[in-house]
Amino acid sequence: MAQATNKAITEQWKDEPAPLLPMLHAFHNRDGYLNEESITAVSDALKIPIAELWGTVTFYHHFSREAPGKSAPRVCTGNICCLNGGNELYESLKSEGATEMPCAGRCDDMVPVIIDDKALVGTTKESLVHRATPMPVPNPGGIEECVFASIREPGRSTLEGYRRTGGYSALEKAVTTMTPESLFEVIADSKLAGRGGAGFPTGLKWKAVAEAPGDPKCIVCNADEGEPGCFKDRTIMDHDPFAMIEGMTLAAFATGAPLGFIYLRYEYPETEAILENAIEDARANGLLGENILGSGLTFNLYVRRGAGAYICGEEGSLLNSLEGKHPFPRNKPPFPVTHGYNDKPTAVNNVETLASVPHIVEKGAEWYRSLGLGDHPGTKLISLSGDIKRPGNYEVPFGFSLQTLLNEWAGGPKEGRTIQAVTMAGLSGGFLAGDDLDITLDDGCIKPLGSFLGAGGIMVFDDSRDMVEIAHGAMEFFAHESCGKCFPCRIGTQRMTERLNGAGSALELSDWLTEVQDIGSTMKATSACGLGMAAPNVTDSLMKYFPEQVESHIAKK
Amino acid sequence: MTEFREDLNPPRVCNMTLDGDAVKFTEGETIYEVAERHRKEVPTLCYDDRLEAFGACRLCVVEVEGVRNPVASCTTKANEGMVVKTKTDSIEKHRKTLLELVVSENKSVDVDELSGYASQEFATLVDKYRARSGRFLGKKSGTSNTKDKNPFILRDYDNCISCYRCVRVCAEQEGDYAINVMNRGFHTQIIAEFNKDLRDSNCTFCGQCVQTCPTGALGDKKALRDADTEGEVKKTRSICPYCGVGCSVDLLSKGDKIVGVQPAMDGPANEGALCIKGQYAFDFIQNADRLSKPLIRREDGELHECEWDEALDFAAAGFQKVRDKFGRHSVYGIASGRAPHEAAYTMQKYIRASYGTNYIDNCSRA
Repeated sequence: MAQATNKAITEQWKDEPAPLLPMLHAFHNRDGYLNEESITAVSDALKIPIAELWGTVTFYHHFSREAPGKSAPRVCTGNICCLNGGNELYESLKSEGATEMPCAGRCDDMVPVIIDDKALVGTTKESLVHRATPMPVPNPGGIEECVFASIREPGRSTLEGYRRTGGYSALEKAVTTMTPESLFEVIADSKLAGRGGAGFPTGLKWKAVAEAPGDPKCIVCNADEGEPGCFKDRTIMDHDPFAMIEGMTLAAFATGAPLGFIYLRYEYPETEAILENAIEDARANGLLGENILGSGLTFNLYVRRGAGAYICGEEGSLLNSLEGKHPFPRNKPPFPVTHGYNDKPTAVNNVETLASVPHIVEKGAEWYRSLGLGDHPGTKLISLSGDIKRPGNYEVPFGFSLQTLLNEWAGGPKEGRTIQAVTMAGLSGGFLAGDDLDITLDDGCIKPLGSFLGAGGIMVFDDSRDMVEIAHGAMEFFAHESCGKCFPCRIGTQRMTERLNGAGSALELSDWLTEVQDIGSTMKATSACGLGMAAPNVTDSLMKYFPEQVESHIAKK
Repeated sequence: MTEFREDLNPPRVCNMTLDGDAVKFTEGETIYEVAERHRKEVPTLCYDDRLEAFGACRLCVVEVEGVRNPVASCTTKANEGMVVKTKTDSIEKHRKTLLELVVSENKSVDVDELSGYASQEFATLVDKYRARSGRFLGKKSGTSNTKDKNPFILRDYDNCISCYRCVRVCAEQEGDYAINVMNRGFHTQIIAEFNKDLRDSNCTFCGQCVQTCPTGALGDKKALRDADTEGEVKKTRSICPYCGVGCSVDLLSKGDKIVGVQPAMDGPANEGALCIKGQYAFDFIQNADRLSKPLIRREDGELHECEWDEALDFAAAGFQKVRDKFGRHSVYGIASGRAPHEAAYTMQKYIRASYGTNYIDNCSRA
C-alpha cells in the first residue's frame, strides 16, 4: 500500500474531535518520527503556530524527532524493572538504538520493551516475547469482588462473552427503569469515589456535570495510568474492556454527555487495539453511537493515545493534551465539572471507577458499600510489585490489612528476606516501614502517617535494598516528569535528585537534612499540582524511616 | 434584551479581610489585584499585569483561612468573606526558599539595567529576601542561544527562570506566537520555531519579550552596547516619532548620548507596547550623516546649507511655478503616516485651499 500523503493524513483527522494527538501519531507511525515537514503540515491543518506545536511535541517523551525513532526499542527502567534486569537489558539493546522509558505499567511481568506498536517482555535480549497482560489470580481470600468479579470469565473481553456474563444489563436497567438523577443518586449512595487517587465522590461529580450549564458535555476516561507501580487499569482494559465502556455510557446517561474520550497512555499499544475493536463492536450492536438500546441516548466514544507524559494523568494536563494544547496543568478553580474539555462541563473518571459502575447499578448501592470492611465502603484494586513472591493485581475491601495482603495473599517476601519498606500510591505516597506496615488499606489509617492510598500501587522493597538508591530512582522519575510550569517542582525535583545521588554540593549531614526539608516543605506548600506536592513524600519518609541509611549516604561522599 | 440589561448591571462590590483589615473589592478581582491595590507588595516573577495570570513562580502565594495549602494569589479570585494573610512567617520562608532555588539555577543574578524594562525585578526580590545564601547548589538550567544572529535581542537563557512571560507577551499582546517552550521540567527552554534563530521565525523583533523579562535573560542588544559607557542611565519621557499612534517611550541616555528606548507601561496609546522601529531604530538621532540644516541645490548643481526661512520660500516658489505652468492638478500631496491627526488635517487643508485640488492622500493608505 502506498504511504499516506501529508494531505491524506491531515484531511482524515482535522475535523475529528480532539484531532492533534491522532494526527501526530499518524505521522509518527508513517515515518517513525516527527520531522519539520510533518509538523508544518499539522500546523497548517490545525492552525497551531509552529513554535507552539514544536514545544508541545517535545513535551512528550515518546514522540521521536529523528530516525530510527519509533522502531528503536524503548526499555522500561522504572523503579521495579531496574531491580529486575531493566538496566542490563537496556544496556544490551543500546546498539539497536534503545532508549529508556519510565515505568511502563508491567511490574507484574517484566521487563516491558516497546518496539513500534509491539509490547514485548523479557529480561534478556534473546528472551523478549509477546505475552498478554497477566490475568489477576482468583481472590486469595475468597472475598467477594466488584471490579474483578467477572473478569476471569472466559471470553469476557469480547462483546458476546461480556453480554453472556451479565454485561450491559446495567445499561439496559438504567435506560429502561432509571432517570439520570436516580442513576447519579445510586452512585452517590454507593460512596464510590475516584479510584485514580484523588478520591472525589463519583456521584457528586456526575451530578455537578449534569447540572452545569454548557453543551456538549463530555465524559473522559483517564486511562493514562502513569503512576509507577500501577498496572490495574491495563488489566481491566485488556480483559474486561466493555465494563469500562459500559461505565462510561452510564456516565453519559447520568450527565447528558453525548461525547466521550478514553485518554490512554502510550505504553499500552495493544490496549489501544483492544479498545478500538470493543468500541467498534459496541457501535455495531447499538451500544454506542446514536439511539443506544433504542432509548434515544447518544454517546460517541473515541480513544486518544497519549505520547508519554506522566503529568497527562493530572486532569487539567489531560484536558489540555486532548485539546491539542501544551499539557501544563490548569489553574483551579474552575474545575473540569464546569470547565473541562473545550471549557464544557466534563466528568474525568479513572478506569477502575468506571468499571465499578455497571456492577453497582446492577447490584445496588448497599451491596457495594457492604463490600468494604467496617465503615469503609467498597473495594480497591491494589497493584502489588517488587520484592514479593506473587506480584499482581488484587481486589481488596477497603480497610483490609496490608500485612495479610503481603504475607498471605501475595506469599510474603522472597526466601530468606524480610520486607524493609513499601511504597503507597505507586510512588506518590512515599514509603512506609517498620511498625507502620501494620496498617489497614484505607486513607483513614494511612493519611495520618503522611501518606495516602492513591491509585493503589504498592511496591515492596526487601532488606537487601539501599533505600536511598530507591528514593533516588523515585525522585528521578518525578524530575523527569515535572512539566516545568511551576518553580518549586521544576527546580525542587532536580535538587532533590541531586541530593539523593550524591551530586550537587558536598553537604554536611545537618545541611543536607535542612536543605532537603526546606525544599520539600516549600514544594508541598506551593506547587501548582499534585506532582510537586507529592514528590517530597519520598524524601520525608526516607528521612523518617531510614535516618541511618541517609547518614551513611552522606558519609560515603 | 434581558442579557443586555444584565451586562449593564454594575459589578458587585464584596468584602474580605486582608491582613486583618476589612477591605472591599469588585467581584472578579484576584486576590493579587486586591492586595496590590492595598500596597501589600506581594512578590512575583511571572506576573505582568498586561497578561493573563499564569501561576508559575508561586512567590505570590498567600494564606486563605479554611484552605489547607497556600494559594497563588494571582490566579485565585477573591471571594466574599475571604480571610487572607499575605505575609505570614511561613509564607515568607517559602518565598525565600523559592528565590534561593531560582538563584541556584542561574548563571547570575545581577544584570545591567540596560538589559530591559523589567530586568531588575529578580535581583531586587533576591536582595529583599536575602536569598544570596548559596544554598541548594546544583546543576544550572538553561541552554543559552547567544549566537542567534540578530542585532536586537540577546538570548542568554542561562539566566532564564522559565516564567514564560516572553512566550505569553508574544502570543497575548503581539499575536506573533514566534516563541514557545520546549521540553519539560528542569530542561525547559524557550525556543523559536524548530529551535532555530529568531529571524527564521514569526518574530517581528518588537522587543516586547525583552522588556518583560524579569532577569535579563532576554536583553536589549542595542542598549547593552553602552553598558560600559560612563554615567548614570537617565530616562526621558517622549513620544515615538515614527507613526501616528503616538506610543509613549522612555529614552535612555548616558550623558549626552541616547543609548536605548523603553516602552512606557503607562503610555496611554501603547500601554507598554512598541514595534521594531520605536524600540530599536533610534541610531539616526546621533548619526553623523544626519542633516542638521536644510539644503538647497543651487545653480552649480550642488547642495548648499541654508536657513529654514530661505528653504521654505524656495520650496513655495517651486510649487507656485509648477501650478502656474501646469494648472492646479499638477500638485499632489501625500501626508506621512507618522503625522498625527492635526498635521494630517493641516496637510489636506494646505493642498485643497492653496492649490485648489483634491489630489491629497496619506501614505498609510498606499
